[in-house]
This record gives sequence, C-alpha cells and structure tokens, in this order.
Amino acid sequence: MENLGILDSLSDECIDEILQSWNGYCSCTEEILKGKGDLSIESEFVAVVIALCRHGLEGLVKDHFLQVLEVAFKENGVSKFWQHFHDYCDASMMASNKPLQIQENYQSVLCESLEEICLQKQFQEKCLLILVHALQSYEESLMESKKSEVETDNLFSRYQLMVSSVLLTTLPRHFPEILRLYFKESLEELSTMMAEEYEGGNEIQGEGNFDLDEGESLTKIEVDIDKRYYEMNTVRNTKLVRNIGKVVRDLRSLGFTSMTEDAYASAIFFLLKTKVHDLAGDDYRSPVLESIREWIQAVPLQFLYALLDYLGDSVGYDTASSGLKSPLASCPSSCYPGISIPSEGLIRWQLRLEYFAYETLQDLRIGKLFEIIVDYPDSSPAIEDLKQCLEYTGQHSKLVDSFISSLRFRLLTAGASTNDILHQYVSTIKALRTIDPTGVFLEAVGEPISEYLRGRKDTIKCIVTMLTDGTGGHSNGPGNSGDSLLEELNRDAGNQENADCGDDFNIDDKQAWMNAERWEPDPVKADPLKSSRNRRKLDILGMMVNIIGSKDQLVNEYRVMLAEKLLNKSDYDIDSEIRTLELLKIHFGESSMQRCEIMLNDLIDSKRTNTNIKASMQQSQRGTEQGEGISLALLDATIISSNFWPPILVESLNIPAAVDQLLSDYARRFHEIKTPRKLLWKKNLGTVKLELQFEDRTVQFTVAPVHAAIIMQFQEQTTWTSKNLAAAIGVPVDMLNRRISFWISKGILSEMPGKESDDHVFTLVDDMVDTNRNGVINGTCEELLVVDEEGEGSVASVEEQLLKEMTVYEKFILGMLTNFGSMALDRIHNTLKMFCVAEPAYDKSLHQLQSFLSGLISEEKLELRDAFLFITERLKIFIHWPQES
Amino acid sequence: MVRNLGWHPVASWTWDAQDETCGICRMAFDGCCPDCKFPGDDCPLIWGACNHAFHLHCILKWVNSQTPQPHCPMCRREWQFKG
Repeated sequence: MENLGILDSLSDECIDEILQSWNGYCSCTEEILKGKGDLSIESEFVAVVIALCRHGLEGLVKDHFLQVLEVAFKENGVSKFWQHFHDYCDASMMASNKPLQIQENYQSVLCESLEEICLQKQFQEKCLLILVHALQSYEESLMESKKSEVETDNLFSRYQLMVSSVLLTTLPRHFPEILRLYFKESLEELSTMMAEEYEGGNEIQGEGNFDLDEGESLTKIEVDIDKRYYEMNTVRNTKLVRNIGKVVRDLRSLGFTSMTEDAYASAIFFLLKTKVHDLAGDDYRSPVLESIREWIQAVPLQFLYALLDYLGDSVGYDTASSGLKSPLASCPSSCYPGISIPSEGLIRWQLRLEYFAYETLQDLRIGKLFEIIVDYPDSSPAIEDLKQCLEYTGQHSKLVDSFISSLRFRLLTAGASTNDILHQYVSTIKALRTIDPTGVFLEAVGEPISEYLRGRKDTIKCIVTMLTDGTGGHSNGPGNSGDSLLEELNRDAGNQENADCGDDFNIDDKQAWMNAERWEPDPVKADPLKSSRNRRKLDILGMMVNIIGSKDQLVNEYRVMLAEKLLNKSDYDIDSEIRTLELLKIHFGESSMQRCEIMLNDLIDSKRTNTNIKASMQQSQRGTEQGEGISLALLDATIISSNFWPPILVESLNIPAAVDQLLSDYARRFHEIKTPRKLLWKKNLGTVKLELQFEDRTVQFTVAPVHAAIIMQFQEQTTWTSKNLAAAIGVPVDMLNRRISFWISKGILSEMPGKESDDHVFTLVDDMVDTNRNGVINGTCEELLVVDEEGEGSVASVEEQLLKEMTVYEKFILGMLTNFGSMALDRIHNTLKMFCVAEPAYDKSLHQLQSFLSGLISEEKLELRDAFLFITERLKIFIHWPQES
Repeated sequence: MVRNLGWHPVASWTWDAQDETCGICRMAFDGCCPDCKFPGDDCPLIWGACNHAFHLHCILKWVNSQTPQPHCPMCRREWQFKG
C-alpha cells in the first residue's frame, strides 16, 4: 500500500529523471566493463549512481551491477576457462599411460588458465570498486560514513559468492580429477627431490625432529629449529612449491578452497599410502612404523610447511576460524600464543597424516594377520607395529572381524590338520596377547577356533601330544623339536614368577602404586558380564583346557596315552614321564594327577620287585637245567595296579610253553614274597625282543607278544594254515590275520590262498632272493627295532571307555523315548542329569551324549527326525517292557 | 631259528581276598583306603580271625575307636587279627 503511495507521489519530472539516470547508468556500466573506464566516465558514473540512490534505488543499482558482472564473467571468463580443460576430459581417465609431454602440457595449461581467469576476476573486482566508490560518495553526501565499511564487505562477498557459484554450477565432472592428478604428479616430483635430500640430510633430521607428544614447552624451540632447517632445505624446491602455491592460491580465490584442499590432501594421502605399502610390504621381520614416521617428517610435512608458508597467515587464520577444527588438533594457539600460526596448521596436518599412516599400516597388517601369525615368533616386529597402530586408531574390532573371517576361510576347514590348527591357535594366543594384554579380543578370536576344535575327534589327543611330547606335532618346524609346549609354558611361568615375586605378601606401597598406575580399563568391546579379574588369566594351557571343556577329560586322555607308553616299555626308564607328570601337576593339581602318579609308581615298584624275585628265583633254581627257550635273565616284568590304570584289553594268547612256565614260576615267587597278593598275567601285553637267525643273516625285532608267539610257531613247522595257527596260539582267526600281516610286511612270512576260501597258508621265507625282491632287508646282518605301530593299542581308548560308560544309560534313554514318544537331545540330557543321580551318576557332557546317541542311530535303534529322537519301528518290536510287578 | 633276547611281560597284582571292596571304606581292595595315596605295599590288607578282610588302616581306626572290646564290622564277632 505504502509503496504504491510512493509511486503515486512521484511526479512526471521525477520519473523522467530516473529514466534518464538509469539509461546513463546502464551505458556507463557497459563502458566500464569494456575496460574503457577513463576518468570522465567514472565521474559520470558516480553522478548517475548518486542520482539513482537519491530516489531510493540503491538496491537496484547493486543488483544490476552484479548481474552485469555475472553475465560478463560467464561470457569472458568461465566458458573460456573450461574450454582449456576440454582436451583433458579423457586424459584424466587414462592418467597412467599418457606420454610425459601431455602431462607437462596440462600442468602449464592449468597454471595459465588459472592465471587468466584470475586476471579477469581482478579486473571485475576493480570495476566493483568503482561502484563502491560511487556509493561511498553518495553516502558521504548523506553524512553517513559509518555504514560504508559494511557495505563494501557485503558487496565483495556477494561478488565472491557469485563467482564461485557460477564456476561450481558449470564445473565439468573431470575437473577435480585433473586437480588431483596435478597435485599428485607435482608431489611425486617433489618427493623424489626431497627423498634425495632426505637421504643426504639424515643426520640433521635426527636432531630436528618434531616431538609433539612430549613437553609442549619444548615444541616452540623445536619449531624454531625446524623452521631454520626447512628454510635451508626448501630453497631448492622453492620454484616447484611456488608454482603449486600459486595454483592453490588462484583456486582459492575462485572459491575452490575445499576442492583444492581435498585434491592435495588426497594426493598426499595417496603418496603416503604408496609409501606405506612400499615400506611394509610382505616382510614381517622388521619394524616399519618408525621409518614411516620419519618419512612423514621428511617429505609431506616439509611440502606442507612450504606451501602453508607461501600462502601466508591467511591459511592458518582461515582454518582456525572456520570451525572445521579437527578433534585431533589440540589448540596450541590459544594455550601457547608463542607458536606461530602456520605451525598449528602443520601440527594438525601431522596428526592427520600420522593417523592415516597408522590406519593404512594397520589395514595392511590386519589383512595379512593370518600369515603374520603363521610365522609368529619371527614376525613379532609386525605384531608390535600393529599394536602401536591399534593403540592410535582403536579399530580393534576391525582386526577381530577380519581375522575371524580369514580363520574361517583358511584354517577351520576340513583340510587342515588338527595339529596345525592347534599350533596356529597357540601362536594366535601369543600374538594377540602382545597386542591386547587384557585379552578381550583374544577371547573374541579364540572362540571360533575352540568351537571348531571341539567338533573334531582327535583334538584332545593332539593337545595332549602337543603338551607332553616335544617332537610330536611340530609338523613344519624341524628346528623346534625337543621342547614340549608344557616345558615352554613352565619356563614362561617361571620367568613371570621371578618378575613379580611375592605377589601378595610383601607388597609395599610403592609397588601397589605402580600396579595401580599400570591398570588399564577394559576395552569398550569387553563383555561386562565377565569380570576383568577372570579375563586376565591368559594362560595358554587354560585356553587349551577350555577347548576340551574340562581338565578331567584332558587328564584322562593323558592317562590313556601314558598307559600305552608305559606298557610298551622294555626297560624301566621313566625319567621323562616323571618330569612331564611333575609339570602337569603344577598346572592341574596333584589330586587330578594321582592316578598317573600311581602308574609311574607301579613301574618303579616293578623294577624293585623284579630284581627281588629274580634274585630269589636264581638262588633256588641254581643247578636246574634251563629249557630250550628262555632264561630267567631275559625276563623283566611290569606289575601294575590295575585299578588305577585305564581299562586294559585282555585277549587270550598261548605264549610258548617255556615262557609260560617261567611266568608261572615268577608269579608263584611273587605270591611267596608278597603274600597274600597274586599276579595275574596279561599275556597279550608287553614287548618281546627277538632275533631271527637265517642261514645268511640275523635280524632283530621288538614286537608284541602275539607276534612273538606267531613267529615262534614257525620254528617247529615252516608252513601253517591260518586256522591251525590261530588254534595253536589261541587267538581268533581274524585277529591272527591282522597280526600276522606284520611279519608278511617284513618279508619274513609269505601268504598264499589256502584250499578253502577263507583259509590262508603262511610260509616262512628263508632265502635271500625273496627278501631282496621285497626290498625291505638287504644287509646280511641288520638290526631293526620295530615297535608295533598298527594302532592296536593295549589300552582301551577314551572313546571306548566312554561307550562302555554310556551303555548303562541306554536302557534309561530307550525307556524315556518309549514313554514320551520323541524327545530332543537336550531334553534327554537334562532328564538324565535330573534322575540318574545314584551310582553311576550321569556326568557326561551334551556332546558326549550326542556322540553316543549317534552311535545308537547308526545301529538303527533310534532315528532322528527334525531334531527329535524316536525309537525305530524295528526296535519297538523287540522291546518288551515288563507289565507285571 | 628264533632266538629270544628278552621278554617283557605285563601283569597286574591283586589281593587274594574273597570280597571286592573293603567293608569299611567301600573302596576296592586293589585300590587303597581314603587316607593313602598308593595301593599295594603302602596300604595292605589284614584278615581277622573271622576271615573278613579290610584295609589295615581302616580296621585299625575302627578297632581303636571301639573300646574296650572291638568287633568285626561285618559279622559282629570279637575282632582278632588272624595269626
């Protein structure tokens, strides 16, 4: 309303004046922009602007002027500017394989065109200044000089905004790429130059190092030193840096600030990344972090220093006030005003670069963590590097995820042997313990491995072998033999004990304070349910036991192995077993190793008893003729307390009569000495040392009694049918056929099909030709020590024991399934746990139950449908549950 | 011709008792009483006049607790060690 009123109030005269001034203004503007702005036009321009302003058209004047500038800028500057880069549209795509000349060409094109457009911009700014002058003189006439400053700023910022928006809206897509390429190439050039310098000036570098982490008060002095050093060094690079600096400044003035920064940052990062990859590579035997840090100091930071220096204070001021402050940057400018502004920018850059370097190295190492851990003790420098990186970046979860997936892919497959998995597991534990002493990440990584190992049948056996047997297991480390894992663990434990002896007792205040200072909070990923106290227990043995579930199973397995070993001994030498047992006692407690101790004790007792019995027998037997077979001196018996040994497989066997006689004499003598105790011979157990004498050679063997019994039968007659032989030595035919293959494989016996289909004829091979042809024995007198290794153990294996123990529950299970129809596995497990509390109490794990039930399924007693177990129809017929009583 | 260079057989010992377990501690005779660690010589059996056998340590404890006149825990006859 009011505006319209004003319009009405305008007289024709006024309108004429306005129109005239406007026309004058327009033509003047045109003249000025064409660059013909001499003094007369300028004064005319001022006059018309004042005239228009007087009519309140100030805003219109400004808008129009800017618009004209925009149109001119578009026409003269922008389109021409972009045209320069038109040729490089494709070039950027194939950056790598274009000839060097074009490269240099486009560097100069970039410089020149930037210069050109900047000149254009400067000219326009000059024009704008004329308008500003005009407006100022108008305002002076109104005596309001106070506002002018703001007006000027406002106009220039509007202009700046216009320029950058025009450029950005017309920006071709490949321009950032060109910028990036430009910086990349100039930087590479620079870095090769600097690298040469760096090589030369290594000694100086050592002194002039930045030390940001340490006392800030020192930083000032050091920066000063640095400055001098940089100045000295940068002289040679000045030209290149100045070129780059000019380009950056031009780009900045065009409003490409962030794009430029992106471009050179990405170029620097690219360079850094290449450097890290170069340095780190696939060598894990040497630490690289330090040299990367030195390189950052030597090359990119110097470049940045020179660049920021060239651009002047505006850079530091700009970044500091922009509010984009990186959280990494401390604010030294406010706290320590003495530090010059560029060095603040530099510090921020250093932090950025170092973080990036850490992250790159970390990613590189994490990607190869599997290999690194495979050759762990050798690759510990790489692990140490990774630890430092992770402390800086805190991306432990990345490690966990990537390592778990590579484990799944490469280790936890059917093709990997349990031994290898276990060794990798141990190395993993050791390596991750270095990286993260709290063990949280180890827990996360170890879980899939132990989960997988739990599913393997031979895990316990392998663990026990690895623990107790020095040479066994190390399939790929021949130099590593001799020491069992247990010994190693013990050494570690011993060292640790020495390190912090008197943990609980004489702990003085100072020690307590040091402990308190060493405390670190659990990482964020930690499971709060588990107290940190539990987690801190990081012993390898504990984690091994965790795989199995309970130490009892491990001890049990060890007992079986120990029994096997002891029963196959031909002397009483058990020193190494005693040592192992002592070590195991330290870890598992004396009570759980009690049975093993009794077993070893049995051997010690046997030695003593054996000597006693033999001495007394020799006295009484003096003078009596020895039989054909065997003298008492050759007999050494092992006497065991069978209650404490694992169940022993007793098979009947007829040993040669002479030996049999000797054994019963021995037993009688034992009974006399140790009344009322008796001896029960396990004739199938033990070892026999034999010498086979042929016409032209003798061969020695150490074999099981059954083998000895077999071969001794061939003394009387050289050909036996399997049925007759089996009857003679008192074993089943199939057993004989299995055992006799030992002699056949040694070339001592030969096998031929007999008259009946299931009968075989065995003949003693007695001439050289045959054995030579077999290629087993070719010396005339050769000593062979062969231990029975057919896997026909003398002790019931743990699985067999378990099966035996589980059979008790078979009736319970079948009864339950008859009553309920069908049950899920865990329900059966829980029911058994609940009701089978009397002797023998049900103490099996779910896993053990599962393997037992799968046995029943394969026997077709049960069947499994949708995770529920049923009794098969076949079996239902046979089950008659007593109805009466 | 086979020559025997050494025969290393294996035997187990057992107490020649009629029963399997000790009537006092319910542990096997071939094992040992709860106070012992090692079976055999360290934890012998002893027979009473009534021909009942016990771990020596078990019956001694029993006898010492029964004053004035100890009885066999199995048959309640007066306890006397078998000659």
